[in-house]
Amino acid sequence: MNVGLNEYLILSALLFAVGFLGVLVRKNTLVIYMCLELMLVASTIALVAFSRFNGTLDGNVFVFFILTVAAAEVAVGLAIIVALFRKRGTVQVEELNALKN
Amino acid sequence: MTPFSAIAFFPELVLLAGALGIFVVMLGESQGKAARAGAIFVALVALGASIVALPQSTVLFDGAYRIDAFSQWLKIVISAGYLFVLLLSGNLPDIRKETKAEYYLFLTLSVLGLTMLVSSVEVLSLIIALELSSFPLYLMVAMRREREGQRVQMESAIKYVMFGVAANGIMFFGFSYLFGLTGSTHLPEMFVKLAPIATTPLAIVALTMAFAGFYYKLAIFPFHFWTPDVYQGASNETAGFIATLPKVGAVAVLVRLVSLATPENHAIATLLSGLAILSMCYGNLIALVQKDFKRLLGFSGIAHAGYAVVGFTAMNTAGYTAALYYIVGYMLMVTACFVVICKVSKDGTNVEIDELAGLHRRSPLLALTLVVAVFGLAGIPPFVGFIGKFGLLSAALAKGQLALVIITVINSAIAIYYYLQVVRKAVFGEKGADAPAPEPLHLDWSAKILCVLLLVGIVWLGVAPAPIMDAIAASLAGINLPL
Repeated sequence: MNVGLNEYLILSALLFAVGFLGVLVRKNTLVIYMCLELMLVASTIALVAFSRFNGTLDGNVFVFFILTVAAAEVAVGLAIIVALFRKRGTVQVEELNALKN
Repeated sequence: MTPFSAIAFFPELVLLAGALGIFVVMLGESQGKAARAGAIFVALVALGASIVALPQSTVLFDGAYRIDAFSQWLKIVISAGYLFVLLLSGNLPDIRKETKAEYYLFLTLSVLGLTMLVSSVEVLSLIIALELSSFPLYLMVAMRREREGQRVQMESAIKYVMFGVAANGIMFFGFSYLFGLTGSTHLPEMFVKLAPIATTPLAIVALTMAFAGFYYKLAIFPFHFWTPDVYQGASNETAGFIATLPKVGAVAVLVRLVSLATPENHAIATLLSGLAILSMCYGNLIALVQKDFKRLLGFSGIAHAGYAVVGFTAMNTAGYTAALYYIVGYMLMVTACFVVICKVSKDGTNVEIDELAGLHRRSPLLALTLVVAVFGLAGIPPFVGFIGKFGLLSAALAKGQLALVIITVINSAIAIYYYLQVVRKAVFGEKGADAPAPEPLHLDWSAKILCVLLLVGIVWLGVAPAPIMDAIAASLAGINLPL
C-alpha cells in the first residue's frame, strides 16, 4: 500500500483529537499532561509530512524546536506537579478546587 | 544578507546581560535586595536602550527578526512596564526569602521573551519568544509562600501551565497546517502565499488554531479559564505582571498576524467578533459578584481583552491602532490598581474589596490612584479608558459592525456598576463607628513615583491621544513593507 500525505494527516489529526479529548475528560494531571504531549506530537507528524511532500526542510527544523519546547514544558510542568503532590497529597483535578469565591 | 547591527538589538542584549548578571547575583545566599537593585538598574538601562534603538529599522537573523518602528515603540512600552512592575513589587513580602533573587531572574527572562516577541516575524522565533515569556511566569506563580489560609499557589500554577500547554498545542497544530498550505515558516512569505486560499475552510481553521496561543495570553473567551484562578493564587506582584505586559505582547503579535491575513476576510472578522462578545459578556457578568479585588480584576481583564479584540474585527489600521492604544492604556490602569493592592495588602495577602474601606484617610495618594484607575477602566472621560474605547468603537462602526458596537456599549454600562462599587468602598465605605481609627499607610519613594507616573500617564493618554495615535498608525503603516 502506498502511504501518501493524506494518511499522515489523518494519523496526525487522530492523535490530536485523542490528545484534546483526553485533556478534556481525564482527571489525573499526569495523564492530562501526557495527552498534552500527544497534541504536540500530532503537530510534529503533520509538519514532517508536509515538509516531505512540500520538498522543503523547514518543517523538519520546526519539529526540532517543538520538541525542545515540549521538553522544557515537561520539565516545568512536572516540577509543579511534584510540588503540588507534596503540598496536597493528590494530583486529581477534582480535588483541586480551593480557588473559588 | 544585512550586517548584524548591535544597536538595533540593543534592548534585548541589555535584558539578556541583565538576566545573566542577576543569575550571578542569585548564586549567593538570600540576595533579594541586591537582585532587586540590579533588576531596577537593568530596567532603566533597557528603557534607555529602547529609546536609543527607536529609529532603527533592519532585519536580523536571516529574516527571522524584524526591527521596525512598530516593534521599537512596543519595546519602550515593555521596558517601562518592567520598571513599573519592579517598583510595584517593593520587597516581595509573599515570596520566600531564599528565592527572592530567583524571582527577579525569572521576571527579567520573561520580559526578554516579550521584547523578542514583538519583533518576531518567523514562526520559529515567535515560538521561542512566546515560550521564553511563558515558562518563567509558570514558575513565578508557583513561588508564592505557603501559609495558613493560603495553600492555593500550586493549584493556580498547575492550571496556568495546563491551559498554557493546551493553547500552545493548538497553536502548533494550526501553524503546522499553515506551513503545509504555504510551504514556508516566514510569516510575510506565508501570508502572501496564503492570500489566494485564505477563505478556504482549511485556511480559516488553521489561522484560528494558530491564534490560540495569543488568545490564551490575552485571556480571550475559550482560553480564559486560568485568569481568575491565577490572579487569585499568584502573589500580588506576579498577578500585576501577568495582568499587564503579556497582554501587550499578545496584542502586538495578533496585530502582526491579523494584518498579514487578507484585509477582507469575513470569516476571521466574524469569528473575532464572536469571541469578543463572549469574552466581554462572560467577564463582566461574573465580575459583578466578586469579593476578592484581584479576582475581580481577573474577570474584568477577560472583558477588557474582549474590548481590545473589537478593534481587530475592523481589520484595518484604525482598528489595530485603537486596539494597541487601548491595551497600553489598560496596562497603565491595571498597574495602578495593583499598586493599590500591593500597598493595602498586609504582608502580601490577597485584598478583599471591603478592605479598601477608608483608603482616602489612610493614604490620599493611593485612593486617588485607585479612583482614577478604576474610573479609567470603567471608561469614564477624561481618562485613557474612555478615549481608547471610543477609538475601538468608531473603528468597528466604520466597518458596519453595529451589533457588536451596541453589545460593547451595554457591557461597558454593566461594568460601571462593579467599578463604582470599588470606588464607593474605598472613598465612602467606613468601618463601624466603634472600630479603631484606620492606620495611615506608609508609601516609600518608589511607590510614590510610580503612583504619580501612572496618574500622569492615564490622564495624559486620555486628554491628548492624537500624537500617540498618529505615531502608532504611522508605525503600523510600515508593518508589512519590506525593509
